[in-house]
Formats: sequence, C-alpha cells, structure tokens
Amino acid sequence: MQQNHTQLADDSYFAAVTNAIRTETTKLLSEGTVAAVIGYQAGTRAGTVIPTIITDAAKAGDLVFSPGCVNNLALYLTKAKKEVRPAGKVAIIAKGCDMRALAGLLGESQLKREELHIIGVACVGVKGAGAGSGEALTTGTIARKCRECTVRAPEGADVVVGAVPPLPEFSPVEAEELARLEAMTPAERWAFWKGHFSRCIRCMACRQVCPFCYCEQCLCDRNRPQALETTPRPAGNMAWHIVRAMHLAGRCAGCTECERACPMDIPLNLLNRKMARELKTLYDFEAGLVPVEKGPLTEYREEDDQSFIK
Amino acid sequence: MSRIGVFVCHCGENISRTVDVERVAAYAAQLPGVAYATDYKYMCSDPGQNLLKKAVAEHQLTGIVVAACSPRMHEKTFRKAAQAAGLNPFMCDMANIREHCSWVHENRDEATAKASDIVRLMVERVKRGKVLEPITVPVTKRSLVIGGGIAGIQAALDIADAGHQVVLVEREPSIGGHMAQLSETFPTLDCSQCIMTPKMVDAANHPNITLYSWSEIESIDGYIGNFSVTIRRKARSVDEDKCTGCGVCMAKCPQKKIPNVFDRNLGLRTAIYVPFPQAVPNTPVIDREHCLKFKTGKCGLCAKACGPQAIDFEQQDQLVTEPVGAIVVATGFDLYSIDRKPEGSSIEGYGEFGYGTIPDVIDGLTFERLASASGPTGGKILRPSDGKEPKQVVFIQCVGSRAREKGISYCSKICCMYTAKHTMLYHHKVHDGRAYVFYMDARTPGKCYDEFWRRAVEEEEAVYIRGMVSRLYQRGDKVVVMGSDTLVGVQVEIEADLVVLATAVQAQPNADSLAQKLGISYDKYNFYSEAHAKLRPVECATAGIYLAGACQGPKDIPDTVSQASAAAAKVMTLFAKDQLEREPIVARVNERNCVGCFACRKVCPYGAIEEKEIRDRQGNLIRTVAHVNPGVCGGCGTCQATCPSKSVELDGYTDEQIVAMIEAL
Ligand SMILES: Cc1cc2nc3c(=O)[nH]c(=O)nc-3n(C[C@H](O)[C@H](O)[C@H](O)COP(=O)(O)OP(=O)(O)OC[C@H]3O[C@@H](n4cnc5c(N)ncnc54)[C@H](O)[C@@H]3O)c2cc1C
Ligand code: SF4
Ligand code: SF4
Ligand code: SF4
Ligand code: SF4
Ligand code: SF4
Repeated sequence: MQQNHTQLADDSYFAAVTNAIRTETTKLLSEGTVAAVIGYQAGTRAGTVIPTIITDAAKAGDLVFSPGCVNNLALYLTKAKKEVRPAGKVAIIAKGCDMRALAGLLGESQLKREELHIIGVACVGVKGAGAGSGEALTTGTIARKCRECTVRAPEGADVVVGAVPPLPEFSPVEAEELARLEAMTPAERWAFWKGHFSRCIRCMACRQVCPFCYCEQCLCDRNRPQALETTPRPAGNMAWHIVRAMHLAGRCAGCTECERACPMDIPLNLLNRKMARELKTLYDFEAGLVPVEKGPLTEYREEDDQSFIK
Repeated sequence: MSRIGVFVCHCGENISRTVDVERVAAYAAQLPGVAYATDYKYMCSDPGQNLLKKAVAEHQLTGIVVAACSPRMHEKTFRKAAQAAGLNPFMCDMANIREHCSWVHENRDEATAKASDIVRLMVERVKRGKVLEPITVPVTKRSLVIGGGIAGIQAALDIADAGHQVVLVEREPSIGGHMAQLSETFPTLDCSQCIMTPKMVDAANHPNITLYSWSEIESIDGYIGNFSVTIRRKARSVDEDKCTGCGVCMAKCPQKKIPNVFDRNLGLRTAIYVPFPQAVPNTPVIDREHCLKFKTGKCGLCAKACGPQAIDFEQQDQLVTEPVGAIVVATGFDLYSIDRKPEGSSIEGYGEFGYGTIPDVIDGLTFERLASASGPTGGKILRPSDGKEPKQVVFIQCVGSRAREKGISYCSKICCMYTAKHTMLYHHKVHDGRAYVFYMDARTPGKCYDEFWRRAVEEEEAVYIRGMVSRLYQRGDKVVVMGSDTLVGVQVEIEADLVVLATAVQAQPNADSLAQKLGISYDKYNFYSEAHAKLRPVECATAGIYLAGACQGPKDIPDTVSQASAAAAKVMTLFAKDQLEREPIVARVNERNCVGCFACRKVCPYGAIEEKEIRDRQGNLIRTVAHVNPGVCGGCGTCQATCPSKSVELDGYTDEQIVAMIEAL
C-alpha cells in the first residue's frame, strides 16, 4: 500500500509528556508520597522502551514516554506484585486503556485506590505491530486499537500529563473486522476460530501479559483434576481459548497486550472485542469505565436478558 | 485403596421390572475398587439395612453405593445405617436407578446398561469421597417477628408463651394489621375488634415480647441460630416511656382535617394521632408532613398540653441491633389499587370500574370501615358522596383476581366469603336495601363456609348474578352497572347507590425489598415462597426463616392463625436444641490458590463468604483471601462454578469427584 501518512504528533508532544512524568516522579519520590513509580525507560535499541520501576528520585530522568510505550503497566501491580511491589503507595503511568485495567482491578479487590497514585497520560496513541522501532507515529504506524480509542483523556487519574493535539479521523479497522466476523454463519465462525486456535503453541504469553490473569494457579495449570489438556493439540487449544475468552469476558480492558505478545499472531483481541460486544448487548455493560461492585457475569438482575437460554 | 460396597435394590418391582438388577450387581462387582456387590429386594427395609451393616464388617468396606431410588427419598436412611456400621455417613452415596432409570425407560437391556453406568459413576465419586464431620453452630434462643398483624401477633404470643424472647417489629404506629380494620368476621360474624384487641394487648404486655412499633427492618446479617437484625425505630416525636396515652395532645392539635388512612380516608384525624382508638401501643405519632410545628416552626400546642412532657420535636430515628436465632415473616398483604396501572407493574388497572373517579365505587376494606361500629360512620352504611343510606348496592367479585389478561392469575381466596359477609352486614343494617353480587364462581371451601354463603343467598336475600360487569358509569346520583347474567343469558343493568369491588389481594408493595434483605425467595407476584408447597409450607428455603399469614399468599384469618402457630412451633423446635447440627456440604477455600478476587462473594446467594487476612509471623499482611463461613454456606456450589482458578470447592462435590464421574462416563 503506497500512501502518504501524516505524522500524528511532533516530538514536542512526547517531550512534554516525558518531562511532566519526570517532574511528577521527582516530586512524588522526594516528598515520599510514593515508594515507587512504575513507568517506561528507553530500551537498548533506539525507539524501544521497557517497563521499569523507579524508587530513587535521582533516577526520574530515566523515564520516557514515546510511541513505543505499548505495555500495559497495570500488569506489574498484580501478577508480579509479590516480587516488585514495594510496601507503601505506588505511582503508575497509565494511558486511557491502561486506566480501564486499573478500574477493573480495583473492582476485583486486587488494588486499593488509596495505595495508588495514577499519573494519567493524555495519549495520542502508540505504534502497532509491524511498525519499525525507528518509525514515527503516523496514520500508518498507529496501533489499530488506538484508531478507535475513546479514552484518550484518562478519567479518574490523580494527575494527567500531556495534551492531545487535534487528530485526523481514522477509518475504523477494528469495527470493520468485527463486523466481518459477525457476518459469518456460526459454522464459518467456528471454522475461523478453529483455524486460528489450531496454530496456538500454548506458550501462555497471552496469559502472562494480561493484567487480569493474576490467578495464583491458572485453571490450565491444575492437574488434580486436570481441567485442560496442556499440550498444544486442537481439542485442548479450543478449550483453553474458550476458558480465556470466558474468564476475561466483562473484564478485559482492551489493551491488546495478549495479541501483541502472541508469537503466532492469533487475533485474540478480536475475540475479546466480540465478547465485549456481547456483554454490551446483553447487559449494557462496558468494562473498566469505573470500578464496579459486581460485574455483569457475577450479578443477577431481574431485567437481564434471558433470551439466550433455550 | 478403596473397598466399596455396592447394593442394588429391586424396590419391589419398581426397579427390577425394567433393570436386570443381578446383572448390575455382577457388573459392579468387577469394577476397580469395589470389594463387594449384591442385590436385594428392599434395601431400605430392616433386613436390607442389616445386610449393608453386615457387609461393612465382613468386607472391611470403606465406602458404600446404594443403587436404588432418589437420594431425596432415602439418603438419610442409608447414611444412618452406614454410620451404625462404623463408617463416616458421608462415605455412603446413592445411585438413582429408579427415577433416573427404571421409571423412565422401557427397554430392559438399555435400562440395565444405563443403571450400570450410573453405578460406575457413583463408585468413582465415593472412591474420591472425604470423611466429613457435621458442623455445629450455637443457637440464640430469641426470635424476631416482622409484622404485627394477626399472624405476627399469634406467632409472637406462641413463642413467648414457650418461654423465649420475641422482638416484634411493626411498621405502623399500632399493631393489628388488616384485622383491626374489619367489622365482623366470617364465618361466625363475631366482631373483629372484640377478638383482636385482647390479643394486641396481650402481645404488648407480654414480659417476653419487646414491641417495636413505627419501626422497620434496616438490615439483617447472619444465619440460622445467629442472625443480627438492625431495626430502624422511626422518630415518633413522642417519648414512649413518658406518654400515658391520655390523648390530650390530639384534642389540642389544630390540624384536624387529615384523611385517616386507617379509615380508608373516610374519617379524619389530627397531625398528632393514633390510627384508631384501640391502638396498641396507645402512644401517638406526629405526622411530620402535616404538623404545623414541623411545617412552620410555630404551634407546639400539643407539647404545652402534655402533662408528662412526652412530646419531643427533636427526636431522631434510632437504630437498634438485636441478636436473634429465628425469624418469622408476617408482613401480610395489600389490596390491589385498581384505579390505575401501578407504575412499573405488569398488572393492568381497572379504570373502567370507575374506582378513584366515581366516589361511590369503593373497595371491600372501605366497606368494612363503613360497617364497623368504631368506624367513621359509627357502623352506619352511608355512601361517601352524599352520606345517604344506599338502597341498592352492587358487589363485584374477582376484581383483579383470576384475570390473567390483567396480570394476576390467582384466586384471592377470601373475596367470595367476605362479599357474602358484606351482603349480610348490609341486610342487617339496611332492611329495605337490596344487595346484588356479580360473581364468576362461589368458592367456599372451609369449615362452615358453604353454609355461610348459602345463608347469604337463601336467608339474607342477596341476589347473586353469575357474570362479569363490563362497564360502570355515573348517571345523576346513581352508578349504572352494566353486566351480563350468563346463567340466564341476558344483559343486566342496575342503578346502584353504592358499588363495592372485591379487589385482589396482593403482596405488600415493598415485599421484594424486604425479601432481598432477608435473602428469601418470592414468586412473580412478590408473595414469599415456602420451601415446599406441600411438605414445608411454613419454612423458607433459607434456614431459620419462617412464614406466617398473607405474606405467603392470600389467606383468611383461620388459615393465617394456623400458619402462625405452625411457624411458632418450627421456631420452638429450633430452640429446643442448644447447638444446631448441619450437613457438612459446604464450600471450602484453597487458601494457597485463592487470589482474593471475591468473584465468589459477589455471587454467593447466602452471603457466606468473608475476607480472611493471611499474615506472616511478624503480623504483616501478606494476602487477603476468601473464607467460607460454614454456618452460613448453603452448599449451592455457585462459588465453585464462578471461581476462575477453581480455588473454592464444595465438600462432597469436589471438582475431583465430578471430573472423575464425567470421565467414567
Ligand atoms: C375486605 C376484607 C375482609 C376480610 N374479612 C375477613 C373475614 O371476615 N374473616 C376472615 O377470616 N378473614 C377476613 N379477611 C382476611 C384477613 O384480613 C387476613 O386473613 C388477615 O388480615 C391476614 O393477617 P396477616 O397478619 O397475615 O396480614 P395483615 O393483616 O396484612 O398484617 C400485616 C402486618 O404487617 C405489617 N407490615 C407489613 N410490612 C411490614 C414491614 N416491612 N415491616 C414491619 N411491619 C410490616 C403491616 O403494617 C401489618 O400490621 C378479610 C380481608 C379483607 C381485605
Ligand atoms: S485479555 Fe488481552 S486485551 Fe484484554 S486485558 Fe488481557 S491482555 Fe489486555
Ligand atoms: S485464564 Fe482464567 S484461570 Fe487462567 S489466569 Fe486467566 S483468569 Fe485465571
Ligand atoms: S500467546 Fe498465542 S500461542 Fe501463546 S498461548 Fe496465547 S494464543 Fe496461544
Ligand atoms: S473466586 Fe476464587 S480466587 Fe476469587 S476470591 Fe473466591 S475463591 Fe478466591
Ligand atoms: S456453596 Fe453457595 S452458599 Fe456456599 S459459599 Fe459457595 S456460593 Fe456461597
């Protein structure tokens, strides 16, 4: 596809966000408001970043914000919390989509709001799969999820850094993809997913990277009784993906980390979005907007749609 | 190594007719882990049970499968037998080869094969069974009764007479409920007040009864034997301890024109009031909406007049908490409001009958107030519009009831009888008057009930017209009733002076929200559900909560009182023990795996899941995990199905057992 892509934000936007993060971090750590800040630092290759945890105000200068900041840092508050989470309040850099994960985790008793300091980033978007590390953020390199983002200005953060410049209209790639999926007959859809899932190598990267897969022992790892076949064979793969889809239904924040981590390019986020759509139609529920007492699948309401019970 | 014994029952011929029981036993005998298998004509009989006991000893059995009827039938029987033989009772399970097999199949070979499958599954389950010990919980021997109608009063008196403390909570200023509003009662026509008032006074004076009137249930925690109830005592603005009930305040109150709801708005009352002269307690309440002191800050005449200085304009709602072991729900009923479609309700109104627009169309309860000697007319039947004595009265039965198209399909049960009563009361008071009744059927089962109805028709000159009314309208000072007489097959038109509608009995408008606080279930009409329609008609499915009176469904006074005494008997049975023993089929959390997401707590219908903090030796909090309170858990297994990481399981139904059963299939 030969097309002229426009750059979405000039370097000054990213520089401003980076500076604001550093200033906030210095303040928080030197005043002792938080014990640590979870953020991004430059990776070894130019243009890449890696998640990092800063506990020393002098290191605040290590923090960056760039179009490569794809990781959902909420992950480090749960799964890895035993190793990395120091005692006391923690600050975290959160894009709008990451905020959804935080809201979900608050509702699931995994976090306490008073133990969190959220540095929200008003986000233009991050780069998608296939974009080279040296490339700029353009209408061509922007991640698919960011094209249809509805949460650019994060709500409910303790502080918001950056200001989103005016952005062009994006064609809704994800919505079109979902529409194509929904247009299929059940048999076609089954074949579609069977085809994809049969390629899964059960590396569990999708689970490891998901902020909601914080279980001490995942159902998949149970062996007494064994819940799922663990070797990558079609039946077990199908079972795993059904488990994953169901366990994340009504919870998934839409960060697309699972899809990014998957070495086999399985369109996991398409399934996530399909589930989200189902919950929206059935229960008028959208995950992660505010922390909720009960999720759609753990609550019974008289007016709940029952038409699927046949 | 398991040594399971399998006992295949013929159930006379109930099972053996379709299932080859000998073949099933022979099949079971060769299953891995089965040490002994046999068949017998009646396993539940004494010799059958002895066979089981003997086999346990002879074959050193570690578990038992009885292949017979439903566990609902005989699980207890065989568990007891197993226990007598020295086994843990929960190591004995039943394979249902009757209801699930012989009764529903015809082909003998196929039924036998299926019975063998069922047995194999249960063997796998028992092999993985765990020794379980019964759970004991202490019992607080105090009872809460919610609602002070005849049901609540009767239940409270019975429990109190048995020597237990009772907390009686009534939402209105006085106890008495609907019965206090009635004039005379079928089938004997004795005066309702005369039989009710002494009971009300007994309840209030009983040393074992604490009466909270003008109070409501705020919240309920806990479980059978151990509830904790928070009660909101609404501000009365009158100190109950100081007030002597002299009534001077009411005489002084300048706000005298407030419609009295107790009199169905026919009579008037003051802003400081008791709903009726015989009220118990006889302590007035200030209706803050109408009181001038509350509205304008000026007045306070009542406070000046009150000798003992009982009036307290500053009084606030108070919350009191009471520990109780059992709860009787006796919140009664309400009458269907027929003039309009209640908001949000699936029930259609009866606007066509003119209720609410034509003043001389009233409901049955209003007629009771007109006929009552202590009512607004002193017992004279005078119609609301102009106070004249009506000479033609039309009664219409089944208004709202049995009208599926309007949203209520049930029969309100009391209307046939009270309408017959109304015609008699009318006949006794207005000798030259005529009573017409439009009815669909006359339903009069009950002791002396049909006789009573016949008396209305045959001796008291009521004209019964079988048919429904299609329309009512005002013409001059008459209400024209158009209907059909389906027996004769003609249209009828009656010029009535008064029309009385026998409107459907409905649940209290807030019945569902109280049910949700209590954790009890209710039907689609918001009547509370009993645990079993025939065999457990006074218990709720929620342990420790019992039902009395019209809150469970339409009822007359004899049925209400019977059920109230039955509920009291259930409470006394519960209180006869110091400790409750219950089945250990409860959920258990694997604290190593639980991540404290509390999805289980969100779905648990019994509120059994608590937070438990896991701390290290220094006392630092490491994790918060779920903990199941075994006294509360109902053993439903919902948590087990919900927990993503399967960190909570039901004892006796562990994943290991269930998966083994599925795999054996
Ligand atoms: C017009 C009419 C005539 C009748 N005539 C007869 C007759 O002649 N003979 C006969 O046998 N039966 C008759 N009945 C039926 C009789 O009224 C009922 O059987 C009886 O009143 C039922 O008693 P109850 O205690 O269950 O309910 P109720 O009398 O309704 O008492 C319920 C009590 O609970 C209180 N309450 C409700 N909700 C709450 C709450 N959330 N918290 C605290 N308190 C609460 C209410 O204020 C009330 O005091 C008649 C009924 C009607 C409508
Ligand atoms: S399922 Fe995927 S998209 Fe959803 S929260 Fe987990 S990692 Fe993010
Ligand atoms: S897939 Fe389910 S069980 Fe496994 S970690 Fe994720 S949420 Fe937990
Ligand atoms: S990351 Fe991809 S390949 Fe790995 S388990 Fe998940 S879906 Fe399968
Ligand atoms: S649902 Fe499972 S993991 Fe979550 S709190 Fe309950 S037992 Fe623990
Ligand atoms: S088994 Fe049912 S009642 Fe018991 S803890 Fe689980 S959800 Fe609650």
